[in-house]
Amino acid sequence: MLLFSYLLMSGVTTGALYGLVALGFVVVNKATGVINFAQGEFFMFTGFIAWMLHVQLGINYLVTFAFAVAFGFALGCLTDRIAFRPIAKSDVVSLVLATVGIAFILKGLARTIWGGKADYLAFPPITSPDPIMVGSIMVIPQQLAVLAGTAVILLLFVAFFRFTRAGKMMQATADNARAARLVGIRTDRIYTLAFGIGAAIAAAAAVLTAPLTLLYPDIGFAFFLKGFAAAVLGGLSSLPGAVLGGMIVGIAESMAGGYIHSSVMELSPFIVIMAVLVLRPSGLLGPAKTRRV
Amino acid sequence: MLMSRLPRFAALAAALAIGAGAHALAAEPGVTADSIRIGTFGALTGPGYLYGKLPMNGVEVVLDEVNAAGGIHGRKLQLVREDDRCDAASAIAAIQKLVHQDQVFALIGGGCSNATFAAREAIETAKIPTLIFASVHDGITVPPAPNIYSTALTSSIESEAQVLFAQQQGAKRIAMISMKDAWGRARYAPLMEILKAKGIALVADEELSPDANDATAQVLRLKATNADAVIMVLYPKPAAVYIRDAQKLGFKPLNIGQSGIADPAAFEEQVGVPGATASFRTISQVKFTPEDPAMDKWRKLVETKFPGDRLSVYNLFGIGSAQVLVEALKRAGSDLTREKLQAAFATIKGFNTDVHPGPVTCSQSDHRCHKSPAWLAKDPGGPIRVLAVTTIEN
Repeated sequence: MLLFSYLLMSGVTTGALYGLVALGFVVVNKATGVINFAQGEFFMFTGFIAWMLHVQLGINYLVTFAFAVAFGFALGCLTDRIAFRPIAKSDVVSLVLATVGIAFILKGLARTIWGGKADYLAFPPITSPDPIMVGSIMVIPQQLAVLAGTAVILLLFVAFFRFTRAGKMMQATADNARAARLVGIRTDRIYTLAFGIGAAIAAAAAVLTAPLTLLYPDIGFAFFLKGFAAAVLGGLSSLPGAVLGGMIVGIAESMAGGYIHSSVMELSPFIVIMAVLVLRPSGLLGPAKTRRV
Repeated sequence: MLMSRLPRFAALAAALAIGAGAHALAAEPGVTADSIRIGTFGALTGPGYLYGKLPMNGVEVVLDEVNAAGGIHGRKLQLVREDDRCDAASAIAAIQKLVHQDQVFALIGGGCSNATFAAREAIETAKIPTLIFASVHDGITVPPAPNIYSTALTSSIESEAQVLFAQQQGAKRIAMISMKDAWGRARYAPLMEILKAKGIALVADEELSPDANDATAQVLRLKATNADAVIMVLYPKPAAVYIRDAQKLGFKPLNIGQSGIADPAAFEEQVGVPGATASFRTISQVKFTPEDPAMDKWRKLVETKFPGDRLSVYNLFGIGSAQVLVEALKRAGSDLTREKLQAAFATIKGFNTDVHPGPVTCSQSDHRCHKSPAWLAKDPGGPIRVLAVTTIEN
């Protein structure tokens, strides 16, 4: 039971972070129909910005969090304006390649700015490293902080879509961009907003993750891979699906590593994903496939 | 008449002689009457810069010192750097550029093992004398290429040292946690052979991804076996994740690292959890810590030439390696050729550098010139200590 609780907590924490990265994918994909291959690099770059603010400049963690999210939002908007909007009417392949280009530019920038100063940058824990017992379950305070942060972000997200005008316009654009344009919605602005929100979520995930890991210029790809897997598993257009997919990927990794062997940890989530996609190609919470007759 | 022509003949003869001499020198790439161009390759950017840029900085201060003393046989040494970005294709391209475009006479370098291993063929084909300063892949020096020597410890030497150290520390239940990428496999295979040869069965053999952000499952599995020593075949990043999680879960065996994590001070910072690295020991290619008073001279030179840098063990890799190169260049004589330098490497026997834990010895049949790893420990918040030196015989 103790082993199970450790593994579950570990899996849920990691899964929550994968879910956040996946959420960024889904937001951009829903609005634009494009997979943003720069999502992992948004995560990496904003993580470094947070490191500069918190570690180098000594700014409070929560203030750092807010700054990093704001920076992420601006970076996402800028990406849309310089890399996406000018070719917005091109085919999907060109649009996807534009995001790949942005990913390489961000990685190159990070290597130039931070790559030669240290190899792996440590972000100090924001909580006590000592575990605490919640009933019979041992919990690391940092894990609780990550889970709480993830929950807050998700609630804000739900509130944004449910209660704000921008959120509703975004949903309308995602459902039918042409209809949205006909009713006067500036869909180009919605795309900018989608990129901004996607990058802001990546920033939030990065600042939450940073105390659990080390930052380095190539960290984005690992999170991109797991986040993308989570998004596909949940259904590429489903926001709750992204979080569910992330949780499943995280828990599958942790359980397989603990109960089978650590060598199957990396493989296990992809086996689960393959199985799910064979049975339900649109993902767990994606729209059911319709057939034209 | 004849007398009046004599000075002209003499001048002509002298000109021809100088021309012939110059031609002979020009035939040897990178060598002129007053300079020798040396190429260096390794990562200048990215995480691998530790094994590239920092040893290069060490090499450069040695060359500066030699140049300040008049050079070698009257020739000043010039260093040409090339970034291999820790990447196989880039390493091959770097070698081609240094050899064909920059026309360097010899090479000293090699940071990331996989990149250097990939470039071995290009180096061998170019027949350029090469001294490796940091790459540890066995395949770089075994079987020996005629022109490639190494002052870096190799994977199998370090692996054997890790097992010997565990035994010397009285470990009875040895476990391993390793990465299974090309770097990890290059160490894992010789480790398993050494363990088998010594009749040691691992109590656990766990894997950790280089990109891992959580090692809870691995730590729990290791803890369940009551391992008293864990051999770590990990880069600093996954190693830090493992050590953090081991501390959190109350698992405190003797953790045995290798030269991939050669700076215990940097590692303590990366782990970031007070006390977590208390039972961590690691291999260093060099005998001294950067703080050791014996390194004052080199600290001053490095920190003066590269403002903002603090002397690192990786600088020392380059310093030791460059001293071996300088010695070989001296032995190769003033009529310098690549063949002579290559032959001179093989004559280095029992040579003491300022940094290596034991004497450096090369031979025609064994180009692994450094077989004396030093063991480092760092008490939490305290200084780095050199615990012991293990000498590998074969």
